[in-house]
Amino acid sequence: MFAHILRRLIVWVPSVLLVMLGVYALAFYGAGDPIKLIFLRAPGDVAYDPVKIEAIRAEAGLDRPFLVQFFSYIWNLMQGNFGNSLTSGRSVWAMVSAAAPVSAALGLMTIVVTALVAVPLGMIAGMRQNSRLDYFILGTAVALWAIPAYVAGPLLMVLLLMILPDGAVPYGWGGIFSVKILLPLIVLSFQPIALILRQTRAAVIEVLSEDYVRTARAKGVPEHMVALRHILRPVLTPVVTQLGLIMITIVNGAIFVELVFGLPGLGRLTVQALINNDYPVILAVTLIGSFLVMASNLLVDLLYPLLDPRAADVKGS
Amino acid sequence: MTMIDIEDKPSSLWRDAWRRLKRNKLAVAGLAIIAALVIVSVFGPWLSPYDFLSQNLDLRNQPPSSQHWLGTDDLGRDVMSRLIYGARTAFMVAVGVTIIAVLIGVILGAIAGFYGGWFDRFVMWFTDITMSVPQLLLVVVINASLKQPISLWMEARYMETLNPIYRNTQIVDFVLVFGAMALITWPPYARLVRAQVLSVRQRPYVTAARALGLTNRLILTRYVLPNAMGPLIVAVSAGLGTAMVLESAFSFLGVGVTPPTPSWGNMISDGLRVWTNYPHLLAAPAAVLAVVTVAFNFLGDGLNDALNPKGQK
Repeated sequence: MFAHILRRLIVWVPSVLLVMLGVYALAFYGAGDPIKLIFLRAPGDVAYDPVKIEAIRAEAGLDRPFLVQFFSYIWNLMQGNFGNSLTSGRSVWAMVSAAAPVSAALGLMTIVVTALVAVPLGMIAGMRQNSRLDYFILGTAVALWAIPAYVAGPLLMVLLLMILPDGAVPYGWGGIFSVKILLPLIVLSFQPIALILRQTRAAVIEVLSEDYVRTARAKGVPEHMVALRHILRPVLTPVVTQLGLIMITIVNGAIFVELVFGLPGLGRLTVQALINNDYPVILAVTLIGSFLVMASNLLVDLLYPLLDPRAADVKGS
Repeated sequence: MTMIDIEDKPSSLWRDAWRRLKRNKLAVAGLAIIAALVIVSVFGPWLSPYDFLSQNLDLRNQPPSSQHWLGTDDLGRDVMSRLIYGARTAFMVAVGVTIIAVLIGVILGAIAGFYGGWFDRFVMWFTDITMSVPQLLLVVVINASLKQPISLWMEARYMETLNPIYRNTQIVDFVLVFGAMALITWPPYARLVRAQVLSVRQRPYVTAARALGLTNRLILTRYVLPNAMGPLIVAVSAGLGTAMVLESAFSFLGVGVTPPTPSWGNMISDGLRVWTNYPHLLAAPAAVLAVVTVAFNFLGDGLNDALNPKGQK
């Protein structure tokens, strides 16, 4: 087990570093001279004096070679220092930690809703394969998967606007126990639900052909007990391995959902930074998003032998 | 399930697939919608009732009427004409991006799968990493960092040649959107082609070709790649839909195609500002985009079942 963890980490750490290097290189060579960017934003404060600019550059350490700057950025990151925003001058760390709880609450609730809705529905669809119910559930899942959050969200809002009286349509952030979270939560859950539902259904269909399921049925075990005892457990393993993909859909979806419903989370921070071309913020948010996805992938990798002991045996031999 | 004799009648695979596809009603409906989309994109200028740019400030934010079937927007432009032109934008971006991404994916995947070794390991590592970064954020970074250098380069070319084509912001947009999207969408193709090549490589006819002394390049292009095409076609049909959604997503965020060029994405984001008063400005592009993406998904699933009758999950 220890060797397994170590092997995974040896591959994982360089991957994370490569992503950081790639994103940082794009920022370093593409975004333009950071000193000039700051001056562009504060015209008139300081005369455009090349000597002075070079002095500021040396003071900020921006005249050092690319790799030195990269590793010092990483070093600062590890100490919680993300630099300062170009537009507001505030510390990026403060901006991120103000926005992160909103996104985290929304994301975690999405995962819970997904598990509660998608796994039972996927099992029903799989156990009644090719029935009308199965087609209905599967068709809905395809539609939910295909319609992006920035389409589903506005359409739902227009629908609610026609039903509810003026001003009663929920908008904004009121904490996780407020009614306002319902609409964003539903829209953000669409894609993960579709993903897990199809995965569960496929896994159920595969497990149904196993001998032990046939034996259980032949013994006269009631159908709901077969589902709970013999099907649910083996089905959960492939479902859990989708965590990384769910993370990607949530991170991508949160950008739109937060924008559409006016939630003050990381997604809206990203879009604002993008509009203002606020590079330190874009860099920080991208790194956080990528890190979340890569960390979930690592978690799945580490948990997999616990879920399916056969996998560890094969890899260990 | 009946086995198909591929060796004797090479066309029967496609005829069989077509027959299976026709039985799938959802896939046929998807195909019809996409065919309509292609026709509308190609013949858009002749089909649209008005010019997508012409403003009529006397008729702003009009509800649907007999003159303007889907109403007009905040500048009095005909929504239906803009939707039709938006279809052109979406179609053009989807096809362009998919061509670039498939080219990168096929070349890298085929070489990696066929030769193996360190190059294979490196390519697979790289695809894994690219796929584990949230696409939107990656495009945001690529876009934010490359926009300025590309615009500067275009401006410099303009100064050199005085060719007005270099001053066309639409072209800068398209280059950026194509480039950024292709850079994030190639890994699935590379992975798929590599897996196909790995399985085809073991077949007796490849061994036979090798025994006859054919060069690696000839074996790869003449024998291995053509036989690895089936699943790639399925992936491309799904990929076209994904690219279309991505384009509208980026335009929605303001990093894709910029106004006044109409794109469904920027129409939705424009509509989002006024939706409480004029819901039709939001509902029209959103509904069109929803229908088209669902159509692409149904067609993709149908093609998958039709081309891989044995591989039903």
